[in-house]
Amino acid sequence: MSETLLFDRRWIARGAERASTLRFLLWLFPWMLLLLLGIYAAGLCFYYGLNQTNMDNRFAFGMWIFLDLAIIAMGAGAFFTGFLVYILKQKDLKPVLNSAVVVGLTCYSGAIAVLMVDVGQPLRAWFTFWYPNTHSMLTEVTFCISCYLLVLILEYIPVVLRNRQLRKIPSFLVFEHQLHKLVPVLAGVGAFLSFFHQGSLGGLYGVLRGRPFVYRQGFGIWPSTFFLFILSAVAVGPSFLILVTAAAEKVTGRQLVQPTVFRKLGFISGVLLAVYVAAKAVDTYVWLNITSPSVGFGPSDYYSYWPMSSTFLFAATVPLGLLPALLLILPYTARRRGWLLTGAALACAGVLLNRFVFTVQTLALPTLPFDEFLRYTPSWQEVATFGGVIAYGVIVYSLSYRYLPLFEAAKGVDKNVSLD
Amino acid sequence: MFPWTDGYHWSATHIIFLSLFFMVVLVIFSTFVSAVWRAASDLRTHRAAKLCWQKNFADLPEAARHCRHQLAGRVASRTCDNAFDCRQCANYTQFGSLPSNVPTKNVGVSYSDKLLYHRGHTWVRPERDGTFSIGLDEFANHVIGRPDSVEFPRSLDDVESDGIAWRMTKNGYEIRVRAPLGGTVISTGGPDEGWYLKILPHGQPNLRHLLHGQEVPGWLAAEIDRLHLQLSMPGAEHTLADGGMLMPNLMDAEPEADWDTILAATFLDS
Repeated sequence: MSETLLFDRRWIARGAERASTLRFLLWLFPWMLLLLLGIYAAGLCFYYGLNQTNMDNRFAFGMWIFLDLAIIAMGAGAFFTGFLVYILKQKDLKPVLNSAVVVGLTCYSGAIAVLMVDVGQPLRAWFTFWYPNTHSMLTEVTFCISCYLLVLILEYIPVVLRNRQLRKIPSFLVFEHQLHKLVPVLAGVGAFLSFFHQGSLGGLYGVLRGRPFVYRQGFGIWPSTFFLFILSAVAVGPSFLILVTAAAEKVTGRQLVQPTVFRKLGFISGVLLAVYVAAKAVDTYVWLNITSPSVGFGPSDYYSYWPMSSTFLFAATVPLGLLPALLLILPYTARRRGWLLTGAALACAGVLLNRFVFTVQTLALPTLPFDEFLRYTPSWQEVATFGGVIAYGVIVYSLSYRYLPLFEAAKGVDKNVSLD
Repeated sequence: MFPWTDGYHWSATHIIFLSLFFMVVLVIFSTFVSAVWRAASDLRTHRAAKLCWQKNFADLPEAARHCRHQLAGRVASRTCDNAFDCRQCANYTQFGSLPSNVPTKNVGVSYSDKLLYHRGHTWVRPERDGTFSIGLDEFANHVIGRPDSVEFPRSLDDVESDGIAWRMTKNGYEIRVRAPLGGTVISTGGPDEGWYLKILPHGQPNLRHLLHGQEVPGWLAAEIDRLHLQLSMPGAEHTLADGGMLMPNLMDAEPEADWDTILAATFLDS
């Protein structure tokens, strides 16, 4: 790219090929518009209250909670990749580690931003910390997500400080080095926190005795959904990372990581997805034959309402569960990029459907004889806020890709750097 | 959250949950504070410059990290893993005793047997008063020509070996020149004086890391080959350099070249 078209050349890593400044700004423009629309919609919710949404006392969880559950599951790639690289020493995944951190950071910060709008009283959001209900799964989720966001910020700082201009400042470079040396500690803390908040998001539904559609038995204080949510999140995290990286490769027109990294991520994702599908099948069998009948509900009470019929259950289990697991595991398909990406996309779609079912279908289904099947359509403010979070993620990722070393080759940069 | 907060109960769930929470917060906080503390300690004890150089060195392309013994023809191929600090190299004596094998030829720029050379294209000359003069070598002078501006450290400031000794600008590019050895700045010169800094080292300096003898033509020949490649027009076929002299003031003569990359490679900036 000609120097004259790269007005921000000084901030881009030397030797890195990037689109012209104008082209980059044109790419950002629609996302900025979407972000502004999202901020405006969130502003309306702050100013006028939650009457701007189509949620009500019966349908208190809507699109935003679905978004939260979905992007927190997708963001699991951050903690899981950190866990694989730093704790299990899978160094060949290091090239995607920085990218995973940015994906995780945008997912979690976006989720928390939406939660701040969703609580309706953002000025009292701190109450959840000051007056915690320690019997609530949501309290655990809030505490863990907040702490994990801090961890992600600390993991992101070294990436930011490796920017070409920032690294010229000795104090920044030294701090980056020292913080980077401690990242394994943060990876361990992140894995601990993520294990519990991913699980508690599932446990949140599993303990709802008044909602037989999601109520589950389990182990100790944890319903089976606690473990299924953890498993599904760690299964889909690497798949989402594959999709984000492939999308970045498509948009930039460059190969960013070696195919072997994709295959390894895909294999890990596939194996975990297969375990998840098996566990989910057992859980569904126990639920439909023991747990649910014990409170007077049979399968027809859940699956006779169009469009949320048994097709959802089948889709989440076979074409969006078993099939992607096979596509990601079998060497024939895993070696072919098209099949690998299809498998990753189907895996992500399966977990999205699972989170949709838990959030929306649960509330839509009647639980009392005089209840009706409820229908909920999000308002434009909910959709715009949702879109704003997506735009925020794309913008942060794009800026990070342009100015930061997101896809460093694993060349052992730091192994020679030690004064100790 | 705390015993004095309304709603707090001395129950097992409260104590276990909040203890875990505070432990996690403590680990996160202490990790951050530890990094700040260690960084401050490095900056206070002058280890920062060495650390910065080591990180910078690790980011250099492999072709720029060839060992001096390869440049002198003593070994076929070897990549330095000591950040060019031969004082720390366990194999220095072993390789240094091997005969060098560099054909003595005109490499295109002049060099002196009386000077010691740093890989960042500076030279060092011991003076009779115990100070050391530092200047830019002929290769760097030919590439840059006359700099547009020079920013020196202040007199009596300390410079660290491989840290940034002084900065120059040329045609809008910032050039950071690395110090071949550490010490206190006694006086500053400039392009007209033929030297840039005079420094007084702390104690007796060990100059083993600086190039001399047959290593210098081997290194300069490799640098000129690198420059040839970097100055080639994009898409042009590679051709074999067959001698000739390096023309002066290259940055003005070839303004369209990728000087950002060339200057980084020349002055060991990542």
